[in-house]
Amino acid sequence: MPDGVAIRAQDLQKQFRTVSAVRGVSFEVRAGEIFSLLGPNGAGKSTTISMLSCLLPPTQGDASVYGHSIRQSPQRVKACLGVVPQDIALYLDLSARENLEFWGKMYGLRGTALRQRVAEVLEIIGLTERQKDTVGTFSGGMKRRVNIGAALLHRPDVIIMDEPTVGIDPQSRRHILDNVKELNRQGMTVLYTTHYMEEAQELSHQIAIMDQGKVIVCGTHAELIRLVGERTRLDLTLDTEADALVECWRGIAGVHSLSADHGRLTLLVDDSNLVLPRLFETASQFGVRITSVTIEEPNLEAVFLHLTGKALRD
Amino acid sequence: MKTLTIAAKDLTHIFQSVFSLVMMFGAPLMITGLLSFAFGGRTSGTGTFNLPVTRVQVVNLDQPDGAAPGFAAGKLLVDVLQGQSLSDVLAVTLVSDEASARTAVDEQQAGVAIIIPPDFTAAATSPDRSAAVVIYRDPTRTIGPGIVKDLVRHVMDGFSGAKIAGQVTADGLSAAGAEADQALKDTIVHEYTAWLQSDEHGAEGAAVPRLTVVAPTGAAQPKSQGADLIGPIMAGMLVFFVFFMGGNGAESIIREAEQGTLARLTSTPTSLAAILGGKFIGVIVSLCIQVAVLVLASLLLFGIQWGQAATVILVSLGLIVASAGFGVMLMSLITSSRQTGPVLGGVMTLTGMLGGLFTTAIPTIPASFNRVALVTPQGWALQGWKLALSGAGVGQTLVPVVVMLVMGSAFLAVGIVLFRRRFA
Repeated sequence: MPDGVAIRAQDLQKQFRTVSAVRGVSFEVRAGEIFSLLGPNGAGKSTTISMLSCLLPPTQGDASVYGHSIRQSPQRVKACLGVVPQDIALYLDLSARENLEFWGKMYGLRGTALRQRVAEVLEIIGLTERQKDTVGTFSGGMKRRVNIGAALLHRPDVIIMDEPTVGIDPQSRRHILDNVKELNRQGMTVLYTTHYMEEAQELSHQIAIMDQGKVIVCGTHAELIRLVGERTRLDLTLDTEADALVECWRGIAGVHSLSADHGRLTLLVDDSNLVLPRLFETASQFGVRITSVTIEEPNLEAVFLHLTGKALRD
Repeated sequence: MKTLTIAAKDLTHIFQSVFSLVMMFGAPLMITGLLSFAFGGRTSGTGTFNLPVTRVQVVNLDQPDGAAPGFAAGKLLVDVLQGQSLSDVLAVTLVSDEASARTAVDEQQAGVAIIIPPDFTAAATSPDRSAAVVIYRDPTRTIGPGIVKDLVRHVMDGFSGAKIAGQVTADGLSAAGAEADQALKDTIVHEYTAWLQSDEHGAEGAAVPRLTVVAPTGAAQPKSQGADLIGPIMAGMLVFFVFFMGGNGAESIIREAEQGTLARLTSTPTSLAAILGGKFIGVIVSLCIQVAVLVLASLLLFGIQWGQAATVILVSLGLIVASAGFGVMLMSLITSSRQTGPVLGGVMTLTGMLGGLFTTAIPTIPASFNRVALVTPQGWALQGWKLALSGAGVGQTLVPVVVMLVMGSAFLAVGIVLFRRRFA
């Protein structure tokens, strides 16, 4: 592993016929850190990690995992990686234990080592009691935990997790996030993709924000927040869509960014105490009611808005 | 080792699936059993073909008029039906009135009722008269009433022949300028009838069997006619369902691609060749088990003698390779599991029909159809099994077996190339 870099992506590109899904992505993940790819759906996160996992060949560029090129040595790369796919990729008619044993064998584990490791992983994912039940009978959150467990069996150097908390209950989500932190504490490098800003904020040592197939910014949480300075994020809801009012607000002094989506607006402003009265005043002039206001300290959502001019939810 | 792990996992999936078990074992045995039942029940252990005995009630109202002394047409018909040679097929009882005979049929206590009219003898001996014998039958039964109808028609044809003979003689005399009086006509009819009676019973008076069940000759060992009928039917079902399961097993590749487990497999340090190899081995092993179980089960249930062991093993090998290869190729052509049902069912049924799998019990298939059947791998497989059933040796089945192996290997190669292109 040269320079303590676990993953190095260099100008990765992926073209699907006429669609450029990934357009020159470069970043470095240092060994032992949690690195998040944050971006809206369609930003190119999953395609990027599919290339890093050797599931898709890049159209251009290269990447290395622990010094092994995804182009030159895909089998070595795969041996270093544990991949947790976005969708549940398990055999629903097999039990949790049978699934883990099968995937362990696919990573070359056998005999006592396999049995011991399966028992450990069942403990990690909290399903020792349900190990003999078929996965098809599990809740969504339990399936997600088995889905993660299957990637941990061979004690990979790097685990790649593609939106592992999509569509699950808060309790399972909490369990998964705690698992990720614990795995990292044990020394595992984690590459994590999400479109949930809070997850990236809670977990990550480094965050790369992606949009439209590109990494638009990369750094620690604090470094990214500094990009928006002392600005405050305002989330407003109007009782009706009002394009003219929105255009008027763009021109108000102290408003830096404004994103509108069906009556829901997100603004980056210098000083909310000064700007908010002006917003109410002009709304009244346009005959529009502001039905809710939320004032947020600068966060990754604000960074995304600052850099792209649109909200992360867009 | 990973290849075997994948194969074992697929086998677990196949043998945990009720649908797979039904299609592998239940359906072919059930269909063959139903056809066996429809053709008169399962064969007996003694090698005889058990046609069910048909109970016949005869109401003989015939009243000979004395014009032909010693001759009674109604009694002649009854004698024919009660003949010793038909005792295994017909159980004939005489009843006195028509209503009770019809009631017996209505209540399924008898399969057929025959009502012979009072003027039957008069009509049989007089050129100018006619009479109708009524056959009242249970509409749910086919074979027994059909035999009775043919026997009655045979006797009636004899009487008609006698009357025609009388008329021809009279016409001949008339053409020669002579006149045939009624007495002469009656004499001719009586003579013809007497000749017919003597012919019915043979020159030495021995009964000539009117229904003979003949076992085919040339078989290596004694077999029942039922087994000869059921054997090809079972062979057709065996080939059809083995090909079906070949496709169904290969469908797991499509299913895994959709469930994401194939992508996950390829994210492990396992080559695509090992993954596809494991899936192919899973299909092959499941088909081996299917063929072995079906051959043994049909031997035990239907008494089918499949032939020499070496021949059966060789034909099984050809069938398994051909069906697995065909299934892999077929599945490589479809893009989603939603297409599997229509494509698998449609293609297997169409090629199965072309291959003659559903017409094995029809003895009069045109030669051209048999040639067309050999366009399909199923046709060759069926030919191999028919040869095995006839007791053929290994040498005689080499051609269909080699063709099946070549076809299966070619299909498999095409399928693997297409799958590799798709998933590489």
